Amino acid sequence: MKLSAPQFWRVKENQYKLVITICKNCGRKTVFKRPICPHCGSDGVEYIESAGIGVVEEFTKVYYKRDSSEDRLPEVVGVVKLREGVRVVGEIVGIRSDEVREGMEVEAVLRKYVSDEPYGIIYYGLKFKPV
Amino acid sequence: MEVGIRGWGTYIPRFRLSAQEVAALWGYDSKLPKALGIIEKSVAEEDEDSVTMGWYAAKVAMQRAGISGDEVDAVFFGTESKPYAVKPSATIIADALGIKKRKLASDLEFACRAAGEGVRISVGLVKSGLAQNTLVIGSDTAQANPGDLLDFTASSGAVAFVVGPGSASAAVVEASVTYVTDTPDFWRRDRSPYPEHAEIFTGEPAYFHHIVSAVKLLLEETGLKTGDFDYAIFHQPNGRFPLQVARSLGIPQEKVLPGLVTPYIGNTYNASALLGLAKVLEEARPGSRILVATFGSGAGSDAFSLVVRDSVFELVKRGPRVVDIVNSKVQISYGEYSKFRGLLLRNIGG
Repeated sequence: MKLSAPQFWRVKENQYKLVITICKNCGRKTVFKRPICPHCGSDGVEYIESAGIGVVEEFTKVYYKRDSSEDRLPEVVGVVKLREGVRVVGEIVGIRSDEVREGMEVEAVLRKYVSDEPYGIIYYGLKFKPV
Repeated sequence: MEVGIRGWGTYIPRFRLSAQEVAALWGYDSKLPKALGIIEKSVAEEDEDSVTMGWYAAKVAMQRAGISGDEVDAVFFGTESKPYAVKPSATIIADALGIKKRKLASDLEFACRAAGEGVRISVGLVKSGLAQNTLVIGSDTAQANPGDLLDFTASSGAVAFVVGPGSASAAVVEASVTYVTDTPDFWRRDRSPYPEHAEIFTGEPAYFHHIVSAVKLLLEETGLKTGDFDYAIFHQPNGRFPLQVARSLGIPQEKVLPGLVTPYIGNTYNASALLGLAKVLEEARPGSRILVATFGSGAGSDAFSLVVRDSVFELVKRGPRVVDIVNSKVQISYGEYSKFRGLLLRNIGG
């Protein structure tokens, strides 16, 4: 696959950090840095950085993909509820796939997402590992 | 002006490969792991590399130091397993940690001692007033030719230090020296996936000569004697060499064992001796004097004398301890190790 270096570069803040958007109009929190609240459309938003600690609420196991990271299969993708109260989807790492449990406390860690093998750019971003 | 270690952080992957399994697979004598002083080694997953592990260690180091990204004036990344041949890893880690843009940042390469040189450079920068705080990271996913002797020890791990004013430090750097020569004991050519080494030549003229020379220089310059040190930490390519070099310097093994981590996690290359220092900082009492000597093939050694300060107790509480990370582990097979480290050929991508 061919990845776009500029495309990744533009969004890297949301890959490297768990930024939470807080709407000053409706008060709702949304994961990722967004210029407009996705709930009420207000552009009156502010941002905080999540501590990166949360709990696995649900998860599933992925057995097939073709994005150059299939050397990791099977991989576990979970819904993590962060301490700040918002939910984010992320890969669960640092644990055998059959040992992941709902309610497990996890922390955000930088990992490789995919890379344009063998000579292209490496995409880094956050996943979750057991605390 | 005094300069010291304001914070430290470590990262060791949870997965461990038993040295006995390596011996059995490749037909080595089952007594060899004991002779090498190695029980098991830590193994990074497929999506880990020196950048991801270094990021974690650096995050904890900054947390311990209680500083934000705006307070870091330089980032030095010591590794011999950088993901890109050309493109700095230090900038990836700095951006991912939110470190300010006005800073020095570079990757250092000198086999296993690049991070040690990063500490020495940092001491100079802080002492001269050119930097308030620096971040030094040593991180490696060490490579080993499958079946080679290095396969028993080459492992993965990272360590990071915030170097800053001594007044805020857990330990001050009392003195440091570096001893380097052109000694071809271990190398990896461009495009070669694994390092080569000169067998027994890696010992006496390389590891032992350079560490002993650096330590003797340090003692000459400071007037200290080996008996003045409460702890001694040496680069740890295996579990035996640090004890042998200590013996040749007249240092009892009781002073070496607290900082000896390789038997349990393998040789983490740039993190090796400095991970031992992190562990000792978590156990030492204020007033203790620590001798640290790194080693990098090619070859060279940095020797440091550090004195632990009262604030060490508070800083220990601010992050995970090395002993707990070492003990948090999952055993894997050689098959899983091969998968994790990309030793299996597979068509990937669409």
